[in-house]
Amino acid sequence: MKLRHFQTLLAVLMAVFSQTSFAHFPFLECTNEASNIVCIGGFSDGSSAQGITVDLISYDEEIIASKTFNDRSSVEFQQLGREFYILLDAGPGHTVEVDWDQIKTP
Amino acid sequence: MREVRQRSKGMNKSSLWFRWRFHLSGLLILIPIVLTPSYIELMSIFGGANGLGERTVGSRQVGPWTITLAEQFEAGPILDGPAGYMKTFNAALCQECAEDVKAVYIRLGKPRNLRTAGVIGFGSPYHMSFTMPVAENTSTEQLVWLTLEGWDGALHQTQWTLEEASPATVQFLKQLQE
Repeated sequence: MKLRHFQTLLAVLMAVFSQTSFAHFPFLECTNEASNIVCIGGFSDGSSAQGITVDLISYDEEIIASKTFNDRSSVEFQQLGREFYILLDAGPGHTVEVDWDQIKTP
Repeated sequence: MREVRQRSKGMNKSSLWFRWRFHLSGLLILIPIVLTPSYIELMSIFGGANGLGERTVGSRQVGPWTITLAEQFEAGPILDGPAGYMKTFNAALCQECAEDVKAVYIRLGKPRNLRTAGVIGFGSPYHMSFTMPVAENTSTEQLVWLTLEGWDGALHQTQWTLEEASPATVQFLKQLQE
């Protein structure tokens, strides 16, 4: 490969992958669906939350259920008859909380 | 037919565009000249050469440590896709305590625990940066909580009212919630 072709390729790759160096922030949206709560997580740059921990925690700080996002970046929890919050935990300082009263109803 | 072609070729060569197109490229030099002052201004804010941020909120004693908070830009939050509105603050630890503090977190509202302490500050201890989510229904009376975690495990907290921390954000929320 000629040097000029290599430089062009490098410039194109840098332009394409420059997106990955941008800051990205986690988000979590939960909806009541039948007997379950369905949550979709992810990052503001469009990347998936697959494999990231998401916990359902009661207001007295008891972890009721601990799951990870599936390959569709979603997770399901069973309804709880008391106050709780759902926490996406992508590491220290990279968390999002959704309280029980912020869960959307379709 | 050949005559027509030659004539049109000749006309193109004598056209204003043909004669001046090279000189128009000189206008490209004006672009960096016009943008350079704002670029230098931006870089001085990001790098800290122009202070901690556009507007310094103030300094607080937090346990044994002192921290100074500033708004990076004196403006409301910026929408960042599905993550919602985000507001950036900068903070600096005192010289004596920079090595004692493991992490600094910021959030709107009182944290439930360390796990939910908020957004973590990154960068030098003298110029940490935090990009904090601001929900659209955030009360303008809300408090901005800072949690400092020491290497010895100690936790210390302080808070500013949102009005003190960022009047521009309060203004933004009022307009949004109208």
